Amino acid sequence: MRGFGGSAPDDGRKAALPITVGIVVWLVSGLVATGTPYDLRVLTVAGIYALGALGYQLIFGFAGALSLAQGSFFGLGAYVTAILGTRYGLDGAATLPLAMLVPTALALVVSLPVMRLQSHYVALATLGIGQVVSLVAIHWISVTGGSNGLAGVPGFAVFGFAVPRGVPLCLVVWALVGLGVLGAAWLGRGRRGLVLAQMRADPVVARSLGIDTTRLGVGLFLASAAYGGAAGALMAHTQHVVSPAAVGFGMMVSFLTMCVVGGRGRIAGAVLGAVLLVHLPEWLRGFAEAERLLYGLGLLAAIVLAPEGLVGLIEAAGARLVGGRRAPGERARPAPAAPLPAAAAAPAPLVVERLSRRYGGIRAVDDLSLTIAPGSLVGVIGPNGSGKTTLVNLITGLAEPDAGVVRLGDRRLSGRAPERIARLGVARSFQAGGLPGGLTAAEAVVVALASGTPARVARACLDRVGAGEVAEVPCAALPAGARRRVELARLLARAPRVLLLDEPAAGLDADERARLAELLVAERRQGRSLVVVEHDVPFLAAIADRVICLDRGRLVFDGPAAAVAADPAVRAAYLGCAP
Amino acid sequence: MRQSVRSAGVRRFAAVCLASAVVLVSAAPAAAASAPVYVPVLVPLTGFLSLEGTSQRNGAMLALGLAPTEAGVHAEVFDTGTSPEGAVTALERVIGRDDVVAIAASMLGTQMLAMRPLAEAYRVPLITVSGTASVTGPDTRYVFRFFPADPVAKRAHARYVVETRGFRRPALITQTTAYGQSGRAHLLEAFRSLGAEVVADEVIDPTVRDMLPVLTRVAAGGPDVLVLHLHAGSTALVIRQARAIGRTWPIVAGSAMHQPSTAALLAPEELAGVCAETASSPISEDRPGMAAFVAEYRARFDSEPDAFALGQYDGMNMVLDAILGGARTAEAVRAALAEGTHRGLAMTYRSDGTGNMAHTVAIICYDGTSRRPRVVARAGDPVAPPDPTGPAEPVAPTEAAERTDVADAPPGR
Repeated sequence: MRGFGGSAPDDGRKAALPITVGIVVWLVSGLVATGTPYDLRVLTVAGIYALGALGYQLIFGFAGALSLAQGSFFGLGAYVTAILGTRYGLDGAATLPLAMLVPTALALVVSLPVMRLQSHYVALATLGIGQVVSLVAIHWISVTGGSNGLAGVPGFAVFGFAVPRGVPLCLVVWALVGLGVLGAAWLGRGRRGLVLAQMRADPVVARSLGIDTTRLGVGLFLASAAYGGAAGALMAHTQHVVSPAAVGFGMMVSFLTMCVVGGRGRIAGAVLGAVLLVHLPEWLRGFAEAERLLYGLGLLAAIVLAPEGLVGLIEAAGARLVGGRRAPGERARPAPAAPLPAAAAAPAPLVVERLSRRYGGIRAVDDLSLTIAPGSLVGVIGPNGSGKTTLVNLITGLAEPDAGVVRLGDRRLSGRAPERIARLGVARSFQAGGLPGGLTAAEAVVVALASGTPARVARACLDRVGAGEVAEVPCAALPAGARRRVELARLLARAPRVLLLDEPAAGLDADERARLAELLVAERRQGRSLVVVEHDVPFLAAIADRVICLDRGRLVFDGPAAAVAADPAVRAAYLGCAP
Repeated sequence: MRQSVRSAGVRRFAAVCLASAVVLVSAAPAAAASAPVYVPVLVPLTGFLSLEGTSQRNGAMLALGLAPTEAGVHAEVFDTGTSPEGAVTALERVIGRDDVVAIAASMLGTQMLAMRPLAEAYRVPLITVSGTASVTGPDTRYVFRFFPADPVAKRAHARYVVETRGFRRPALITQTTAYGQSGRAHLLEAFRSLGAEVVADEVIDPTVRDMLPVLTRVAAGGPDVLVLHLHAGSTALVIRQARAIGRTWPIVAGSAMHQPSTAALLAPEELAGVCAETASSPISEDRPGMAAFVAEYRARFDSEPDAFALGQYDGMNMVLDAILGGARTAEAVRAALAEGTHRGLAMTYRSDGTGNMAHTVAIICYDGTSRRPRVVARAGDPVAPPDPTGPAEPVAPTEAAERTDVADAPPGR
């Protein structure tokens, strides 16, 4: 029940688990034992919402996609249940799986285009889905009952055995919540959880590390739909009536609020958020007209005082607790190192043939050709806007060329997705590295390991770049030099044939640059090809076999590093006039 | 003139209450000795139906607040919001109590549909003013509706348009909500059976603010009357924008238009030629009992009562009658409601066997000089055309005396 990507130290996350489980078990068992029918009803509804919020946590918290379709999936599940229950007399044995299946099928249809979108476009697209579902619910009167909805949905039963209202229904709902928690924990455990943290922190970087973010996102979107449908089915059986309110935007906002207040990305956060948000209005009923105001103030206070959510608070408290018990200087036990992964395939030349890319009227890369031989280190220089980063993006698939082709040996790279290019042995760094702040350095490197590679290889990668000491330090706490080394270790974990580094020395002091230079030379000796984009010509001159200079997308110099500073074309590119 | 009528009404109302209390104290020792009973009020006080829900609460609490101490009634108000889930949770909070004998329940149809199974399971009667047809039915024993159901109200609405006013080409504008869809179905059926040709049938969302596109499409049909079945805000917007573009169609609206809060959104001259269907219009009648009710309502709640408030008031008074008559359990109250007759302020209520208690529909019209409408017809009465030259204060006190289906004062107390 860990929180991927949270900022709390790992100790806090681990301590939060028993605390959170304890709170929920105490609450449920206490109310089941002593609660009135009203208490049990509220707890049952909280469980239903918890199931829906768990699903939303998968797509919103784990995948980092602001989907606004969870209310639609919930409502769709409710309508499927109501239709099957009222017209065909089916019970939970049929309605529950079908209520999960139908929203999942809808999610499958819409997921491929939607999950390729970024950030707010995902929100807009899924909001559109919600609008369509809502309109269908209102206007397809013969099937949905229109705005009146469908009444007379039978209570929850399985294979003819009715589950009475009160304690039995409450226990069934919370048992399903327990299953939902286990499912979500499985989806977010281990290396997949770390990969999701990277995907959430920076999906572009994730793709460049060989992670198929679309496939992961689609998988979690489908799972969130199934959870939402299950919750909708339970709500229909519990409430006996389904109306368009079930698919309304208000329902979506409820799930979103539950996840944020409980703690984004945390399984326990979804459950605690649901329990709190369902109970809070009931606790405030005594305040009459002030109830809504107090409710709003309560939510505001929760978000301001606990930006990481309720579970974030518990994690912080747990970290203090565990940290206080640990002797000064005691560190978490480091994982033993394993040998570095070997290169995925034999060295091969990287060939760029007549590559061009325009952005509007600007030629970012213009008819560029070059070859990077195996085991060579090529420096790339040029003034700002000369096309250096665009060249790297074209090689690694983050941009599509208008013309030309890129090959690695006999493999054509152009036209392939970034993650597929990465899997062919091309690794790249970014100017802003995209390390997930909540992961430790070792975990950040594990993200980049190919499937099946032991996690302890990560430690060897860190040792290789001299960052073994910071293996257990959260990335958010790393100084600039250490961050660069961890980024490099992450690239080595890909066992690449070609390394493309975009301004790796930026922000480093002289010692750190010297250390970085040693590292790059060492990698070249391993037979890897390196392309290093840098403004620091002396830095490149010390390590590069040759340097190329770009100006307005064109290659103006390609030769030994020693000659670059005196070249007239290079000087013209930087100074803006002929020497 | 109006002030003096109000003062006299208040004095009569107070005298009746006092006299009733004295009589009840001396004549009902059995009731005084009984354990207190609980009557919760579960209505939507927040959300899109808060105005109507507040009227419902006020009507219920006015009746319960005027109950003599000897009735031993303890009332409590809960906000249901507008979701079925909120209504059921509120109901579950109160319905399990041993002392609950009846519950004033939300006027929102989807909430009533959600609450109904629980009421049937616990066998506690729900008292509502919901118009949604399916709230009551042959299988329903514990829902009592003190407001005309859609089949009754919309039939009267259409008959007034076609038979009384003689319009043959109505244009219909309804809402996408449960209220709108239910009313639309009944209106279309009624117009069809009356032989009228519906020349436009527009359905709009409550969030629509610009009515010009709808009015343009309506105009293309060449209607001779505009028939509305909309919530309060949409009703006011359609009327205002129709008048603003120079459309002088006669308008016969749904019950939202009778609400003083709706009329307050429009200028009196914009209301010229506007009529509406409703269960009652408390502010339109000056008979003593109604005037006293209106005065008391204004004094307590600083607002104008509407038909929802009055319907709930009458409904709770029928419950109180039952309690004071010795019904101290939910089942006894249900039996009294199912079998009894109650002369309320708005009409006489009697169950049709399925919990529908209200069977009279009133038609009100505005004359363009004030926001106080005049009751021009009642379903079952000879439906007379409105008098466009009628006085600004059209309801004569003698009209109440001529009615035999209503009480002249708050009943029994």
